[in-house]
Amino acid sequence: MSASRSTTRIPRRTVLKGAVAGAAVLGFPLPLRAQGPVFKVGVVHPVTGPLAEPGQACRLGATMAAEAVNAAGGIKSMGGAKLELIFGDTQTKPDVGRTEAERVINQGAQMLMGSFDSGSTAAMVPVVQQRRVPFLVDIAAADPITANVAKAVKEGQQKVQYVYRNFPTGSSFGIKAVQYFSEVFKEAGVAPKRVVLMYCNDLFGQNNAKGFQAAHAAAKPSWDIVDVIPWPEPPQDLSTEVSRAKAARPDIIAPITRPASAQLLLPELRKQRLEIMGVVGPGSPGLYESGQLAVLKDDLEFVMASTPWANFKNPRTQKVAEDYQKRSGGKTFDTNSGYSYDGIFVIADVLERAKSADPDVIVDAIRKTNYGAGLMQYAGPVVFNELGDNPNAVTTMIQILGQKPVAVWPKEAALQKFVFPRPKR
Amino acid sequence: MDPTLIGQGLLSGLLFGGVYSLMAVGLTLIFGVMRVVNFAHGDMMVWGMYLAWMLSTRLGVDPYLGFGLCAAALFLLGWAIQRGLVHRIVDAPHEMQILLMLGVALVLENAALVAFGPDPQRVRSPLTAATVWLGPIFVDVARLVTFGLALALTLALWFFLARTDLGQRIRAAADNPYGALVIGTDVGRVYAAAFGIGAACVGAAGALVSPILPFQPAGGLSLSVASFNIVIIGGMGSLVGAFAGGLLVSVAESLGAVFLAPSMKELVSFSLLIVILLFRPAGLFGKRGT
Repeated sequence: MSASRSTTRIPRRTVLKGAVAGAAVLGFPLPLRAQGPVFKVGVVHPVTGPLAEPGQACRLGATMAAEAVNAAGGIKSMGGAKLELIFGDTQTKPDVGRTEAERVINQGAQMLMGSFDSGSTAAMVPVVQQRRVPFLVDIAAADPITANVAKAVKEGQQKVQYVYRNFPTGSSFGIKAVQYFSEVFKEAGVAPKRVVLMYCNDLFGQNNAKGFQAAHAAAKPSWDIVDVIPWPEPPQDLSTEVSRAKAARPDIIAPITRPASAQLLLPELRKQRLEIMGVVGPGSPGLYESGQLAVLKDDLEFVMASTPWANFKNPRTQKVAEDYQKRSGGKTFDTNSGYSYDGIFVIADVLERAKSADPDVIVDAIRKTNYGAGLMQYAGPVVFNELGDNPNAVTTMIQILGQKPVAVWPKEAALQKFVFPRPKR
Repeated sequence: MDPTLIGQGLLSGLLFGGVYSLMAVGLTLIFGVMRVVNFAHGDMMVWGMYLAWMLSTRLGVDPYLGFGLCAAALFLLGWAIQRGLVHRIVDAPHEMQILLMLGVALVLENAALVAFGPDPQRVRSPLTAATVWLGPIFVDVARLVTFGLALALTLALWFFLARTDLGQRIRAAADNPYGALVIGTDVGRVYAAAFGIGAACVGAAGALVSPILPFQPAGGLSLSVASFNIVIIGGMGSLVGAFAGGLLVSVAESLGAVFLAPSMKELVSFSLLIVILLFRPAGLFGKRGT
C-alpha cells in the first residue's frame, strides 16, 4: 500500500506549478503574445459587472484591430513592432478602473486605451498623467475627462496632457441631438412641442442630460423640454417614473439609458400607453444592440437614437462587421466595438509617425494626427483639438427598422428613410 | 400634485412590494434560524431568474408556471451550500460568516457570467403585456399575479413553520439549538432545510420577477442590499416583519419617485432604515435582543 502510494504520489512542486499555471489560465486573460519587437498597449474595459456587454464588445473590437495591424506588418517605422494588448477589466467600478490602469502600466503598457464608462475613465486619468503614459480614450463621453487636464496644463499645474479622446463629448452629443431632433421633425413635416427627458443618474447620464439641456437652451428650437426625470442606475422599477412622464403629456420621450434600464423603460412606456410620436434618444447604449433587440423585440421598433455609429457605406466597415459578427456569435458591429477598433488603428497611425516609444514624442504625434481611414461615421478625419478631443467624432441618428438598427439622418449618412411619427399601435 | 400620479405610485409600489417581501422572507428565515446573514442572497435570486429564463427559452415554460421548479432547484443549491460550507461557520464570528457568504456571492455571480454571458435578459410572458385600467389608473397584470403568488407563498411558509413537524423543529432549532438537540432533533439537517427553504423563496422570487425586471449576472449585490435593508426595517428574523418591510420599502420608494427626483428614491428607503434604527433598533416586528 505504502509502495503504491509512493509511486503515484505527485510531488508538491508539480502541484504548485500546476496550480499557478491553472490560476494564470483561469484568472488572467492572456495578452496577444508576439515575437520580435513589440509595443504594449493596455486595453481596459468593463468586461464584468453591469456594463460587461458593451465592455466585451470593446475588447473584441480592439483585439480584431490589433490582429489586423499586426497581420499587415505591425508598426513599420519601429522595425515592424507588433502591438501586444494587455487587457484590464474595470468590473464597471471606477476604483477598479484606477487600479487596473496601474496594473497594466506595471506590466509594461506603453500606451493605454479605454474604458467605455466615464466614471472609470475619469479615475484612470490621474494615473496616466502621473506615470506619463499616453492614453487614448476610445469611448467615454463626460466632458471633464479631457477638459480638466487641458485646463490644468493651460494654467501651468501640469506640463503635458497625456489623455486624448476619439469619441463625441457629452456636450457634442447634446448639440448634435438637438440639431437632429429639429431637422427630423421638420423633414417629417410635424411639430412636436413637448419633450420629456429621462436619464440614468450616473456620470455619463448626468453629463449627457446636461449637454442636451444646454444645447437646447442655446439653440432655442420650437420644442420644449417639459420635464426631466432621472433614475438611479441600475433601477429596479421604472413604473412611477413613466407615470410621471405620462403626466407631463409628452409628444416625445427622450431617454438616456443603459442596457438594463432600457429593458425596463420601453415595455413600461407600452404598458402605460403613452400617446407619443416616438421615442428619440439623445445618445446612449441600450437602444440598438443585438442582445437588446432579442429581448425587447417590438418595443424597440421605430425607436430612434442619436448615437456614434459605424459608416456602413464604407466597404471596409462592411467587411470588418461581417468578421465581427462571426467572432462575436452574431452581434452587430456598433458604437462600442467600432470605436475600440478605430482606437487601435489611431494608435497604430500615431506610433507609425512617432517612430519612438518615448511618451512625449508619442503625445506630439497624437496632436498632429490626421487619420482618415476610420470605420465610424466621422465629420472629417480624426484630429485632436486644444482640449484633446476629436471635433469630427459626431453622432448619427439611427432607427430600429425591421428589427435592425439603420442610419437614417443626416442625409449623407442615411441608408434608409426614417419612419416618424411612429405608426399608431 | 396630481392625485392620479400619487394613486398610481401607491399601487405600483404596493404590487412591486410583493417581490421585495418574498426575497426578504427568505433572508430573514435563514438569519432567524442560523444567525447567518446570507450575502449571496441576491446572487441566488439572479440564478432563479436565469433558471426561469432557461425554462422559458428552451422548454417554453412560462415563469408563472415554472417558478416551482426554480424554487426546487434553489432549494437543492441552498441545501448544498449549507451542508458544504455554511455549517462550518454557524458558530464563527459575524465577520467570518460575511467573508464566506461574499465569496459564495462572487462565485455565483461569475459562474452566471460564464454560463449566460453579460447581456441583460428578460423573460417574455403573455402576462407582461397585459394591463387593466381602473379609470385613469392602470394595473399591471404581471405585477398583480406576482404579488398574489408572493403573498400565497409567504402564507404557505408561515403555515409550514407554525403547523408542520419540520416547521416546529426549525423553530425549535432557531429558539434554542441545544434544547432542540436534547429532544432528538438533527439540528444540522434542520439548518440545511432552513437554508434550502430560504434559497427556494428567493429562487421563486427571482422566477416571478423575471418577466418584470431585467437581470444580468452583476445584479445580485443590489438585490442583496435591498433584501438586507428590508429585513432590518422589518426586524431581523421576523417573517411578518420581512413581508411588511418589503411592502413598506417598495411603497416608500415609489412615492419617493413621485414627490422627489426619482434618482433620489433610494434615499427614501435608506432614510427609512436610519429612522427605524434610531427609534426601533430591533426593527418594526423584531424582538429586542435578536
